[in-house]
Parts: sequence; structure tokens; C-alpha cells
Amino acid sequence: MEITWEDGSKSTYTGEQLRWACPCAECRGEAGMQGRLARVQTLSPAELRVHDVTLVGQYALQIAFESGHATGIYTFSLLKRLMA
Amino acid sequence: MSAPTSQQVLDVLGHIKDPDLGRDVVSLGMIKELDVSAEGKVTFTFELTTPACPVRDRFKSQAEDAVGELPGVTGVEVRMTANVRPAFSRPKPSEILPGVKQTIAVASGKGGVGKSTVAVNLAAALRKSGATVGLLDADIYGPSVPVMTGSKVVPQQSNGRLLPIDAHGMKLMSFGHINPGDEPTIYRGPMVGKAIEAMMVQVDWGRLDYLVIDLPPGTGDASLTLAQAVPLTGVAIVCTPQDVATDIAVKALQMFRKLNVTPLGLIENMSWYVCPSCGHRHEIFSHGGAESAAKRLGVPFLGAIPLEESIREDADAGTPVVISRPESAGAKAFVEIASQVAARTSIQSFRQLPVINVH
Repeated sequence: MEITWEDGSKSTYTGEQLRWACPCAECRGEAGMQGRLARVQTLSPAELRVHDVTLVGQYALQIAFESGHATGIYTFSLLKRLMA
Repeated sequence: MSAPTSQQVLDVLGHIKDPDLGRDVVSLGMIKELDVSAEGKVTFTFELTTPACPVRDRFKSQAEDAVGELPGVTGVEVRMTANVRPAFSRPKPSEILPGVKQTIAVASGKGGVGKSTVAVNLAAALRKSGATVGLLDADIYGPSVPVMTGSKVVPQQSNGRLLPIDAHGMKLMSFGHINPGDEPTIYRGPMVGKAIEAMMVQVDWGRLDYLVIDLPPGTGDASLTLAQAVPLTGVAIVCTPQDVATDIAVKALQMFRKLNVTPLGLIENMSWYVCPSCGHRHEIFSHGGAESAAKRLGVPFLGAIPLEESIREDADAGTPVVISRPESAGAKAFVEIASQVAARTSIQSFRQLPVINVH
């Protein structure tokens, strides 16, 4: 996935990188509980392939993977941090 | 002496800068249908980005003067028009509200500061300037728009979609229209989100230059749903001057910043009161709080509105004060603020949102 930012600069992401960075509660964990990404070592190929991306307002992207997982809302600031 | 060429005319007009957009009016594409006759008569259309442009008259005289001074010009005729451009340059229009060019949210954080009064008058002032305007009352629990616009009627349906209510030349939709009378709307958070989405998707808004959205107080469900569902052009924050109100207004503003929604600026309501019997100016809720908060946060201060009995009376009677008493101080303040908001909104038309490509 490639993003062209407002200033014209570009960032490129792999599906694998995005999947492991999923910020949703199931993946990250909540209320002191460990999330799924902390418990598993590997993910199936379908989990790592980006299926669709939708803009959320103007602050984030909702990324759907081929496995059907689509609960993560990736804010632009998170996406910028991933590149840093 | 021979008439100047079109290029010579464009060259002098190119010295006129738009103060808000920071670029010259020629490269912004505002000069259209330019014609120079053999006798030296110059005619062109000056297309503003909003009919509520605060520098409209200045632009006209600047253009007339600049072209008039060119050698060989015998007459200048400038037609002033306006065409609101869609917010953000983007490859395809938004799927939600596709016919709406600009969405302006009015928020406050704190309740009771006059958000709805400001939203109604802001919408009415934009309408009066000549724009096509809609007003969406997103306050599910305390809808005030039906009373303030004298439009307590149930909306009609057409092809399974609700038709907005027409009042004072504006298109309106409120939960107070859908669920009228004394019946309260008792909803938990997720239902509020659904209701607001429905008012955008299931209402036939048609083509609008501006959709003004009156938000409920708070930094929760309603504001979040809205910021997630549509790319808002920006948000105007209303507060009263005292600390207890500006503090909460700042929180609301910071929430919208986190959601990447541009703050158009702060509006100070109930800024002063002129006593009708003694003529003295009283600053009941203090004065200047919003302006200093705006300075601190680095956002524009859009203006101050007085506390006037007529604003309240006309709201209760169902006609926005900018329509019923255009000569009052309150109405003038609203009109001035509306043109500031429109100018700030125009800037967003030239902003490029991030572009996403999936390979």
C-alpha cells in the first residue's frame, strides 16, 4: 500500500507490516488483557494480504485484510510513526 | 492607442492577491470569460470561491483600478460571481453526501453557549449571501433547530428517502422533525451514531454549497461519528467568554485536531449586553476569553456576538435574527462571522488529502 501525503512525500507499506501493527482492541488487547498479536507467533498468508482500504473521515484508514479482519482504524499519525 | 492584449490584462490582474488563499487571483482561476474589444473595452467575470467573500468589494475595485490604468483601456466591466468549490482536491466525490461541497460543523464542548443559535444564523447568513445551504441538527437529545426556524413539520418521503424541510430558503433536517412533540429520544451511544449517519445517508440533501451541522455538546459519540463518516471541511467552535466555557471549548477543539478536522476558529457568544434602559455596555460573562484562547491555540478568532433580547425572541419565534432584523448588532455580527467562516472554508478547497494506492 502506498500513501502520497499532503506535502507530496510517499510512504510504502507491506501487508505484513500493517497487519502486525493493527491497532484494534482484539489485536492489541484491552483492560490489561493481552491482545491476539502478543499471543501468536505467525499469521496465515490471507491475514497478511490487504484486501481493501477505506478512508475514515480525514484522519485514518480502515484496512481490510483478505482474512476478513477489518477492525483496525489506522490513524495517519500511526501510519507516519510506522515509517519513522 | 491600440487596445491591450488579454495577456496584458491578466498580467495586471495577477498582482491581486487573495488574502486568505495567499495566491494571486489569476493562478487561482478566478478570472473567467475575459474579453477585450477592439475599442479597448475590457469585460471579464471575477469568480469568487464563496458568495459570502469578505473582500468581494475590495477585489472588484482593485480589478477595476488595475485594468483601468492600462494604456488603451477605455472601459472596464467586472461581473462578480461565486462558485463554491468542493472541500479538498480528491479523485472522486465522497460517497456519503455526494452533492455537498462543504460541510461545516458547529461545536462547543460545553452546552448552553448558543451553538444552535450560531449554527442557525450562520446558515441563514450564508444563504442570504446567495449560497445554497443545508442545516443538519445532529443534536439527537436536544434538537433546537425546528423551533428556531419555525419548521415544526414532519418530513415527507420520496423513494424511501426523507426530504429535507424547506424554511427560510434553507434545507433542514433535525431529530425534532422526525420525533416531534414532547417525546424524548432515549438512546445509548451507538444509536446516536446510527441516527446521525441516517440523517446524512437517508436524507435527500441534493446539491448544496454548504451543509452546516449543529453538533450536540460533548466530545463523544455524535462528534466522533460525524468525523469518521464525512471528511468535514472544518469546525467552528462556539463559547462564551468566561473561563469555565473557554476551557471546555479548548477540549472540543483539541478533539477535532486529533481527528484531523481543521478548526476554522473560535466564536465568542454572549460577549456583551447593552442595557436598553441605561444604554450601558455590560460584560456579564466577561469579555475577550475566546479571543485569548484562540491566540493561545493558534487558531483564528472569528468574531463576537452580543447578548441581545432580539436574538432570543426571534429564535423562539422561528426566524433567525439575520433575516428578521438584519440591521441589529447581533445580525451584523453573525453576517461578519459567516463571511469569515466561508473564507476559512475556501482555503480547504485547495488542500490535498493523502492519496492511497493499493497494489
